[in-house]
Amino acid sequence: MKLLAIRTLVLIVLALLFLAGFTVFVGRYLHSAAAWAQHPSNRHFYQNGRLKETGTIYDRRGEILLETKDGVLTYHPEENIRTAIMHVTGDQDGNVASGMLKVMWEHLTGWNLLTGAYRYQDSLSATNDLTLTLDARLSALAYRELNGRKGAVGIYNYRTGEIICMTSSPSFDPQNPPDIQADPERYKGVYLNRLLSAAYTPGSIFKVVTAAAALETIPGIEERYYHCSGKILIGADTVTCLVPHGDVMLKDALAHSCNVAFAEIAGELGADVLQHYAELAGFNSRLTVNGIKTAAGRVDVKQAAPVELAWAGIGQYTNTANPLAFMVFMGSIANDGLSVSPAIIARENIFPALAKAEKRMLPEETAKKLKRMLRNNTLTVYGEHRFSGLELCAKSGTAEVGEGKEPHAWFAGFLDREDFPYAFVVVIENGCTGSRTAAAVAASVLHAAVDRYQ
Amino acid sequence: MNSFRESMQQVLQETAGSIYPLLTDLASQAANTYTLVARWLFPLLSLVILVRCLVPLIRERSTDTVWGYLVLANGTSIPVRNWENLIGRGKYADIVVNFPVISRSHAVLTFRNGSWTIADLGSKGGITVNDVKVDKAQEIQFGDVISLAGIDMALVPPVQNEALVPTGAAGNSGDTDEEKDFTLNSTVTLMLLFLFQVLAVVQLFASRASMTLAALPVFGIFFLTELFHYFIMRKLQSKSIELEILVYFLCGLNLALVASAAPSDLKKQLAAILIGIAAYTVITWLCLDLGRARRLKYLALVGGVLLLILNLAFGERIYGARNWINLGFITFQPLEFVKIAFVLAGTATLDRLLTTRNMTAFIAFTGACIITLALIRDFGTAVVFFGAFLVIAFMYSGDLRTLFLVTAGAAFAGIAVVTFMPYIAMRFAAWGKVWQYADSSGFQQTRTMIAAASGGLFGVGSGNGYLKNIAAADTDLVFGILCEEWGMLVALCVVLVIVFFVFYAVLLTKNSRSAFYAIAACGAATIFLLQTALNVLGSVDVLPLTGVTIPFISNGGSSMVASWGLLAMIRSAV
Repeated sequence: MKLLAIRTLVLIVLALLFLAGFTVFVGRYLHSAAAWAQHPSNRHFYQNGRLKETGTIYDRRGEILLETKDGVLTYHPEENIRTAIMHVTGDQDGNVASGMLKVMWEHLTGWNLLTGAYRYQDSLSATNDLTLTLDARLSALAYRELNGRKGAVGIYNYRTGEIICMTSSPSFDPQNPPDIQADPERYKGVYLNRLLSAAYTPGSIFKVVTAAAALETIPGIEERYYHCSGKILIGADTVTCLVPHGDVMLKDALAHSCNVAFAEIAGELGADVLQHYAELAGFNSRLTVNGIKTAAGRVDVKQAAPVELAWAGIGQYTNTANPLAFMVFMGSIANDGLSVSPAIIARENIFPALAKAEKRMLPEETAKKLKRMLRNNTLTVYGEHRFSGLELCAKSGTAEVGEGKEPHAWFAGFLDREDFPYAFVVVIENGCTGSRTAAAVAASVLHAAVDRYQ
Repeated sequence: MNSFRESMQQVLQETAGSIYPLLTDLASQAANTYTLVARWLFPLLSLVILVRCLVPLIRERSTDTVWGYLVLANGTSIPVRNWENLIGRGKYADIVVNFPVISRSHAVLTFRNGSWTIADLGSKGGITVNDVKVDKAQEIQFGDVISLAGIDMALVPPVQNEALVPTGAAGNSGDTDEEKDFTLNSTVTLMLLFLFQVLAVVQLFASRASMTLAALPVFGIFFLTELFHYFIMRKLQSKSIELEILVYFLCGLNLALVASAAPSDLKKQLAAILIGIAAYTVITWLCLDLGRARRLKYLALVGGVLLLILNLAFGERIYGARNWINLGFITFQPLEFVKIAFVLAGTATLDRLLTTRNMTAFIAFTGACIITLALIRDFGTAVVFFGAFLVIAFMYSGDLRTLFLVTAGAAFAGIAVVTFMPYIAMRFAAWGKVWQYADSSGFQQTRTMIAAASGGLFGVGSGNGYLKNIAAADTDLVFGILCEEWGMLVALCVVLVIVFFVFYAVLLTKNSRSAFYAIAACGAATIFLLQTALNVLGSVDVLPLTGVTIPFISNGGSSMVASWGLLAMIRSAV
């Protein structure tokens, strides 16, 4: 029998192989069960491919943004509101990857790894509800201000991290989805939340990053003058300004967005320093907003030729910026160099409630200097009368995106007010001059924000 | 008067009308609350039952029977623990006699039909009994002087037993204290199992499944059968009863799954369990006597071949494979029963293993089975047969090299099949990327995974699943129903029971009376394991999907009866 006992090893091997295979399954289960459960054919949650029941989503003022009534997903009663925040709630068919219906699916449906689809009495409880930090009406106003142009608007509290306004255009009424295929030009990238998931050429708003690097590394930069004759020759190429700015200091160069001065500064900084400060400002990395990963803005000047470095320093070349990430960078300037991670879901909704995460982007001294310069921009160029009472600090951008195309319009900054610690960003695709179009949207939305919470 | 009666009727109707929704509301509230609690109890009870069954089964192996002693001239006394003992100098010998003149595998000492026999394995030194040279084999008596290459020894009866009469039913180890301990344990375990199954029946009535009261007698008869079978087994034998309790556990789940997925099959499934228990009893009895069992082997071979022919001649196609026989009043799958014949065909006794390694009949029968399976396109079962063939053939011959060549050949044939059979190729095409084909060739696997994810650890409650609505889910995707309705923990318990059968067969081999029983037990356990592996791993896309059943769990009469038949092979080796 000993002989046979030895030969039974082959059975042990088979049993172990089976257990190994089963372990593979358990591993996949632990990793992907949430995704499996979300398949639209899962009748525990879906009827005809649409969610049967979810928790209710509220905005910061208690307005119901999304609920299920008798097995039907029901959005906000006002079309303009449900359209403006369609990217936040998500659409019925699950096309918006960053929408709450996708991101907070487990919370809203009550599914979890432990208890699966089981629900006591087949119904959800208040713990499945979700309160957002968002003000839906403010977002609707922002959407209206975009007036059909593609782009995004975001406002967040740079002390608490709460995003109070978020909208992305184009959008559609999620209650009555249109035929997207019928108008591909109008609905181009309609499922994309442009605030979170897009990255555009930044143009002149990037000069704030270059200025930060200069303040940190070039001694006496604030007292120096740069001469702008309207163009500068770098190698065989030229970098130009629309008008000659004459002799300008750093703060004037920023206010008037002088390309020549910033091209020179970029050359002085060198590729490594500019790269370093761009990465400190959040470029080349993704932010996470309650589990939603944003698109990363890109700066890569390691291999850049001198003229390319100059263009990079003024926000062109291959640079791209994610609107939300740039808003957070602006918030860090307002908050003495400390950036607060942005959130869209009210903290009490999340278990475990995480403390707000802070990260130092700039030294306090540099942040304060930049703040004064950005305030100076408003006072000397954008016009205080347009932003009266807001204590606005900002930078505009007009990003060239190629021959024959209108440039992207940017306007980003913050309010230097203790009672309204808001940082913001407005980007309009092919929106022309940032200080005009994007700034107008910003002025209207920011005034409304302050009025609503006065 | 008329108007009074009418108004009374109206009042009654209105009252009833308002009470009825109240009552149904109350009932559904109670049902929901029941599921809330019960779904935690099922995994807990499963784990307790599992542990309480495994521990005594593993412990029992440490007490084994001594049939006699081999006493050497120098006074050394070596216990004889099996009906077949390899005597020699080698490390695999059961009785090691370490003298240089003795061959590594010198002789086999065999107990058969009440007497002992010694057989020469072609040793250099030869054997004499009472100074008479043994040519091939020689029956011996207690006290005969046996000489292996001049080393004298004698077989003496065991000390404790007055007379050694191993009729088969006896397997007394004599350790009565421990047995009482087991008795107490197993009855409590059975009671826990009853609790589990009664809770399951109540859960079925509390669920969305349309259970009718007609299901109650089915479960009632099942409970009585378990009880009756248990006490009969306890009366008739002294072995641990936990092996049967584990199978009751599986059968209880099977009935619950059928009640949820295919209520109309419930009576048929109960009948299959009853027939299964009967078959189990008969086969166990037939196997008690080794001589009878060996004759049974040849009968099984003939019967197996007949079933194969029957299948090829009259087989009907249901869901892909043409493996059903319709007798008008009953349909069954003959190939399920061929499994029993197959295992028996592969058995042999130790002296046969060591002297004549003649596997021709077994190889021929395996070939016939696999060709039949290929013809009727049941490739999952073909893999099961082939895997079982490899295990049995290895235990038979120990020849890894030949088996490796056979496997390589089979792999080649397998590739050819995949290449030339579009139906199989499609299954392989989806393998590993079923989510890309979620609504076509990956339909069944993705739905199984969705069901598993919906069940979580504790399940949504028996009867509350949706996977059962898919065609043949109660056989091919039964693991998914188990995960969805009972939860991952109970599903894991089922998997562990099947894996335990394999380890149990391995444990039994060491102390088995005869190689015949050991090989049969290992063969049966291998079939259980391979079927479970193909079903479970196939339905969740770790392996390609093939339509085989999980023994004792899947809906299906033939599978249930055959599983009990194979279980008898394991039981006989105890």
